[in-house]
Amino acid sequence: MTTVIAARGVTKRFRQPKRFPGLVGSLRSLVTRQYTEMTAVNDVSFDIATAEAVGYLGPNGAGKSTMIKMMTGILVPSTGTVQVLGRTPHLQRQDNARDIGVVFGQRSQLWWDLPVQDSFELHRRIYDIADARYAENLKHLSALLDLGPFLDRAVRQLSLGQRMRAEIVMALLHDPKILFLDEPTIGLDVVAKDAVRRFLAEVNRERGVTIILTTHDLQDIEQICPRLIMVDHARLIFDGELRKLRATLGSSRRLTLEFASDPGVLELTTARLVADEGPIKHFALEREEVSLIDVLSEVGNGRGLKDIKLDEPNIEEVIRSFYQGRNALAQPA
Amino acid sequence: MSKYLAFAQSALQTQLAYRGQVWAAWFGRLIQVFAWIAIWMAVYKDAGSVNGVTLPEMITYAVIGSTLITAWDWRKLIYTLGNSVTSGDVAIYLLKPLRFPLYLFATECGNLTYRIAAIAVPVIIVATLTYGVLPPASLFHGLMFLAFFALSFVLMFLMAALCGLLAFWLMTAFSLEWTLQGILSLLSGSAIPLWFFPDAAQGLIKLLPSAWIGYHPIAVYLGKTTVSETWFYFTLGLGWAGLMAGGVALLWRAAATRITVQGG
Amino acid sequence: MQQAFRVIPFLVHLYVKSRMEYRSAFLLAIGAQFFSYACGFTSLWVMLLRFDTLGGWSWPQLALLFSFQLLTYSLGAATSFVQLRDIEEKVRLGTFDTLLVKPFSPWAYLVFSGLNIGYAGHIALAAGLMAWALTQVGVDWNFGTVAYLVAATISAAMVNAAIITMIGATAFIVVQSSHLYTIFFGVWELSRYPLNIFPAVLQWTLLTIVPLGFASYVPMAYLIGKDIAVLGSWGGPLSLLAGPVLVLLAMAHWRFAISKYQGAGG
Repeated sequence: MTTVIAARGVTKRFRQPKRFPGLVGSLRSLVTRQYTEMTAVNDVSFDIATAEAVGYLGPNGAGKSTMIKMMTGILVPSTGTVQVLGRTPHLQRQDNARDIGVVFGQRSQLWWDLPVQDSFELHRRIYDIADARYAENLKHLSALLDLGPFLDRAVRQLSLGQRMRAEIVMALLHDPKILFLDEPTIGLDVVAKDAVRRFLAEVNRERGVTIILTTHDLQDIEQICPRLIMVDHARLIFDGELRKLRATLGSSRRLTLEFASDPGVLELTTARLVADEGPIKHFALEREEVSLIDVLSEVGNGRGLKDIKLDEPNIEEVIRSFYQGRNALAQPA
Repeated sequence: MSKYLAFAQSALQTQLAYRGQVWAAWFGRLIQVFAWIAIWMAVYKDAGSVNGVTLPEMITYAVIGSTLITAWDWRKLIYTLGNSVTSGDVAIYLLKPLRFPLYLFATECGNLTYRIAAIAVPVIIVATLTYGVLPPASLFHGLMFLAFFALSFVLMFLMAALCGLLAFWLMTAFSLEWTLQGILSLLSGSAIPLWFFPDAAQGLIKLLPSAWIGYHPIAVYLGKTTVSETWFYFTLGLGWAGLMAGGVALLWRAAATRITVQGG
Repeated sequence: MQQAFRVIPFLVHLYVKSRMEYRSAFLLAIGAQFFSYACGFTSLWVMLLRFDTLGGWSWPQLALLFSFQLLTYSLGAATSFVQLRDIEEKVRLGTFDTLLVKPFSPWAYLVFSGLNIGYAGHIALAAGLMAWALTQVGVDWNFGTVAYLVAATISAAMVNAAIITMIGATAFIVVQSSHLYTIFFGVWELSRYPLNIFPAVLQWTLLTIVPLGFASYVPMAYLIGKDIAVLGSWGGPLSLLAGPVLVLLAMAHWRFAISKYQGAGG
C-alpha cells in the first residue's frame, strides 16, 4: 500500500484585523490597524494510503477546511509539510490538480445559467480528457447517480440534491486518484444523501479512488469511511478506525423492554435501568461481554414480557462521548 | 420618531466601518473639484465674464456642485430598493409597523449627513483655502439656498426611488442607474450650468425636475435669481416633488400588491 | 498553450451563452450605457458651443480625445474590470478557491469566463465618434501615422487593463479594496481632458500613480501634433511602451498577490 498523502507537523496560522466596538471604535479603526493571530491547524500529522476512505471530522472552526485547502494546493502551511502523490501541492499546483478531484459542498463549480452538460464539456477541455474515456466515464457515472434526466437542464433549475450529484460526477470525470469532498451532503434530503453515500462508497471500492471527506454528518462517516480523523481546536485528537473507536469507548447499547402490564420495580445486574415508563422500561447494556440472552435470562419468565428492542450505539453518542471523555482515552493511533 | 433616528444613526455607523471607502470617497471628490476648477479656469483663460458669470463665480459653482450637491450616493438606493423588491425581502418590511419608504428616507438622511460631514465639508475647506469660495449673494439667497438644497435631496431621493421601483418591473436596476446618470450628467446642472446651454433649449431644461438637483440651488446661492424668481422656482420644485412622491406611492402600492398576491 | 486554445474560446462561448439567457437585461444595459456616455459627450459639446476651445483644444480634437479614451478603456476593461472587481466577493465567499483546484491559470479562467461583451455599446459609440473626429483633426495620414494609431490603441487598452487588474488583485492582500476603484474612476474622469489644463500635481498623478494619461492625452496629443505637457517629445514613444510595461508590472503584482492569498489565508 503506497502512501498518497503524507502530512508532517502541519501548522497554519492566520492574521485577522481587530474590530473595535461602538461609534468611538468605528472612528478609531479609521486611523489604526491592529491584528490578532489565530491558529487554524496545529501540528497535524497523518498518512493516507491508496484507496483509503477517510472521514475528517470536527466542530466548526476546528480546522477541517483549512487542512483540505492545504492538501489541494489552495493554502500554504505555515510550518510542516504536506505531500500529495509525491508532490508539494502549492508548488506544483496544476500537476497536483490534474490528479485530484474536489467537491465543495457550499461552493458550486457548475455554471449557474447553463446546462450541466456544458459545465462537463468545459471540464473535459480543462482536464484534457481523451474523448473515449470521457464518454465512458460520463455514461457510467451519470447512470450510477441517475443524472440522465437533467444533464441538459440549467443548473439553476436543479434541486440541491441534483446539483450535488452533478458536482460529484464532474469531479470524477477525469479519473482523479484522490477525491476531496468538503461537506458534500450538507443541506441534502435523506434520499439524496443516501444516493451520494452509496455512490462514494462504491467509487472507493470499485475504482480505488482515495476519498477524503469532511463532514458534520456522522452517517456519512459510517457509510463511507472506515477510518476517522478527528480534530478539535486545530489539533488532531483521534486517528483510527471507527469500529475501534466504538470498541474503545464501549458505548452502551440501549435495550427497551415492553411488558403486557407494569411489572413493578425491576432491578437487574446485567443491565442498568435508564428510564421507567411503567409497562415500558429502558435499559443500558454497558458491558461489551453482556449479551441479550444474559439479560433476558435474568428477566426470566412470568413477568409478561411482550416485546424487545435493541439499539446499537448511535454514532453521534459515540463521538459525543469521545469529545467529552477525551482525556481518558488512548493516544491517537 | 426615535425609531427613524435610530436607523439614521445606524446608517452613519455602518459607513464609518468601511474606512477605505471613506478615504477613497474623500479623495475622489477632491479630484473632481480640482478637475472642474481647472476646466473652468482653462475656458475662462482670456475672458473676464461669460454670460454675466465671472470665474470666481464658476469656481464657487464647481465647489458646491461637486461636493454638497453630489454628496449623497443615490445609486445605492436604486440597488437596495430594486433588489429588495425583486427578491421579495421587502415583504419583511411590509410586516413591520414602520412605513418602508419613510424608513428608507430616514436611513438616507443618515447617509447624507455622514457624507456631508465626512466628505463634503473637508473638501470644501481644502478648495476654499486653495482657490477661494464666494459667500452667498445675500442673506435671503443664503437661506433659500438651504431650502433649495433640502429640496434637491428630496427630489434626488424620489428620482432614485422611482428608478428603484421601476427596476421591479424591468428586472434590471443597472440600466435604470445608468440612464438616470446620463440624464443627470447632462441636465442637472451639477457640473455645467444651464445658463451655458443654447438659449433655445435653456427655457425648457430649466423647468425639468433634474434642474432642481444642481442648477437651481447653486444659481440661487450665487444670486442669479431675483426674489420673485427664487420663490417661483421653489414653488415649482415643490410641485415636482409632490408629483414624484405621488408616483413613488403609486408604484410602491402596485409593487406591494404584486408581492403579496404573487408571493414575491 | 494548446490547452489554452481549446479552453479559452469555449470559456468565452459559455459566458456569452449565459449572458444571452438574460437577453433583454443585457440589451437594456448596453443601451443605457450608450445613452449615458452619449450624454457625457453632449455635455462637452454644449460647453464648447459656448467657449470654442478648452486648453487650446477645439471640439473635434476634444471629441477625438474623449472617444479614444472611452474606446481604449472599454477594450481594456472588457478583459478586466468586472472580473477583477468581483475578486473581493469571491475571496469573501471562498469561491475563488474553486479556481485554484483546476489545472488551469486562475487569471485566464477568471478573465475569459467573464469577457465582458457588455462594452459593445461603449465601443460602438466611441469608435463612431472617433471615426468622425479623425477626419476633422487634420492629421497627415500615412503608413506611419496609421500604424501609430493602431499601436497606441493597443497600448492604451493594455494600460487600462493592467491598472484595473492591479487594483483588483489587491483584494487578495487586503480583502476590502473596492474603494480603490473609486479613486481609479476619479482619475479616469480627469484623463478625459487635456493634461495641460491641470495643476502639476494632477499631471504627475496621471502619468505616474495612475498612469491613465498614457491611455488618452499623451498618444492623442502626439497624433495631432500638440505639445505634450511634462513629457514633451518623449510622449510619443513612451505612450507605446506604457502598455507593455504596465502589463508586465501587473503580472508580477498578480503573482505576488496570489502568493499572499495562499500564505495569509482566505
